[in-house]
Amino acid sequence: MGKGVHIQELPGVGTRYDIALGSGGQRVSIVASRDGKRHLYVFETSGDDPTAVLELTEEQARKVGAVLAGTFFTD
Amino acid sequence: MHANLIGLGALILAAGLLARLGRRFRLPTVPFFMLAGILLGPFTPGPTLFEHPEDLDMLALLGLVLLLFHLGVEFPVEQVLGSGKRLFAAAGAYIGINIGAGLGLGFALGWGTSEAFVIAGAVGISSSAIATKLLIELRRLANAETPLILGIIVIEDLFLALYLALLTPILSGADSAGELALRIGISFGYLVLLFAIARWGARLIGKVIDSNEDELLAVLMVGLVVLVAGLSAEVGVSDAIGALMIGLVVARTSVKERAERLVLPLRDVFAAIFFVAFGMSIDVGAIGSVAVPVLIAVGITVLTNVTAGLITARLFGLNQRGAANVGLTVLGRGEFSLILATLALSAGLDERIGPFIALYVLILAVLAPILAANSRMLARFLPDRLLHDRWRYVREETISTACTHMDRIHITETDTDVCPQCVESGDTWVQLRMCLTCGEVGCCNDSVNKHADAHFADTGHPIIRSLQDGDGWEYCYADGTLIREPAGSNRS
Repeated sequence: MGKGVHIQELPGVGTRYDIALGSGGQRVSIVASRDGKRHLYVFETSGDDPTAVLELTEEQARKVGAVLAGTFFTD
Repeated sequence: MHANLIGLGALILAAGLLARLGRRFRLPTVPFFMLAGILLGPFTPGPTLFEHPEDLDMLALLGLVLLLFHLGVEFPVEQVLGSGKRLFAAAGAYIGINIGAGLGLGFALGWGTSEAFVIAGAVGISSSAIATKLLIELRRLANAETPLILGIIVIEDLFLALYLALLTPILSGADSAGELALRIGISFGYLVLLFAIARWGARLIGKVIDSNEDELLAVLMVGLVVLVAGLSAEVGVSDAIGALMIGLVVARTSVKERAERLVLPLRDVFAAIFFVAFGMSIDVGAIGSVAVPVLIAVGITVLTNVTAGLITARLFGLNQRGAANVGLTVLGRGEFSLILATLALSAGLDERIGPFIALYVLILAVLAPILAANSRMLARFLPDRLLHDRWRYVREETISTACTHMDRIHITETDTDVCPQCVESGDTWVQLRMCLTCGEVGCCNDSVNKHADAHFADTGHPIIRSLQDGDGWEYCYADGTLIREPAGSNRS
């Protein structure tokens, strides 16, 4: 962990995690805001306009995170 | 017991509905709460819900106190103190230019010295709530300049405390310079005392209000806050500072998170009443007489903000987009301007201040989101030399997230001052680039052989820097961006 993940404090908002996904400028930025919301930014090119932005509640973020981490099981 | 529940309920509901309408167009809420107050107040033709707006005084004051208390509780002290000198320089420049211009405008209006100080604060201090919401709505949380914008507005909040400490004695109408100095001394002494309590007495305060039950914590907390605010006003320091400082104290206790969560809905409701009550005190008829000064003030604010954005961009090596975004995102004025207006009116200053600040906040409320969303247009007009004398290749570059490959930087200095491969083949080069992963030096893209590019293609080492004297830029091939240090990092 840690390698390739850039952590940036956003004063008054929360913490931002920038994760590079190989070359070509593909990357995701996740802002964990202090009110529990997660902002997910997806970039497909190296430009500064995100391809997609999602605002997830804590519950939704946990669900998505569990699926991504392979720890999601139905009952 | 007499209470106008019908009037109060209808007023709050109308304010909420109007603000919701504004949100459809992504406009900030605070000015619309105020607008509801203006429209339904006793000075405007049409329905009047409250014959005696002063019946709302207690609730509105509670709103003011809770607003500042919450600001104190959520103030990110550690992040601000750890954010480095350059951020303070940028914030200092922002505050200095804006307050300075505000003072100039205030004195030029000739309404009086106290009035000038109130106007300076009202046009000089931006609204953190509006700026933060804008960054989220414009999807700019991942931008490189965003941590700077947030850092600046947070330092501005801190400045607000100092400014209130200075302003309250001025507004109190001291008779002589000596008395004024004494009152300012008391004011700042009180501030230091509360800082000391925040530093060393937080545990004790935490014990006083702590309870496992949310119900009791909320009750104890509100009691403590209102009491401290009242005591502060009694000492001659404003209730607003008292509330802000006790917020900083509570932020250092173990109940911080719960306190923040519990006070939020209370703050939202009572602060809305505060904004509505301020609106009700505005005489619409007087707005026409202040229209010209307000338009001048709006023009000055836009100008000073863009200037401050340029200074920040120069300090941090941002490009045109970054400069424009910094300048135009912090343009919104809201809660703090209205707080200062209320202080001024309750101190019996020139009555034109009310309509002046009301109209000013309303215009910027509509203007700020529009300008911030279209910052690209401004970026086109900013010349390179304003940002960096020696930087080239800047305008075309995107400025996005801070580069994610900075952990691949292992070496930053070299003694090599030739392109070794070109020397071997007998070619010449234009400029030199250095790989920051392995230290290899190669020639630039304007040279025949483009050895730096070739090195990246061979090895995948992502980051180069220019070896040209005075250039000082770094570029990441993988992200395709110039690299800027993130705010608060110690890398230099």
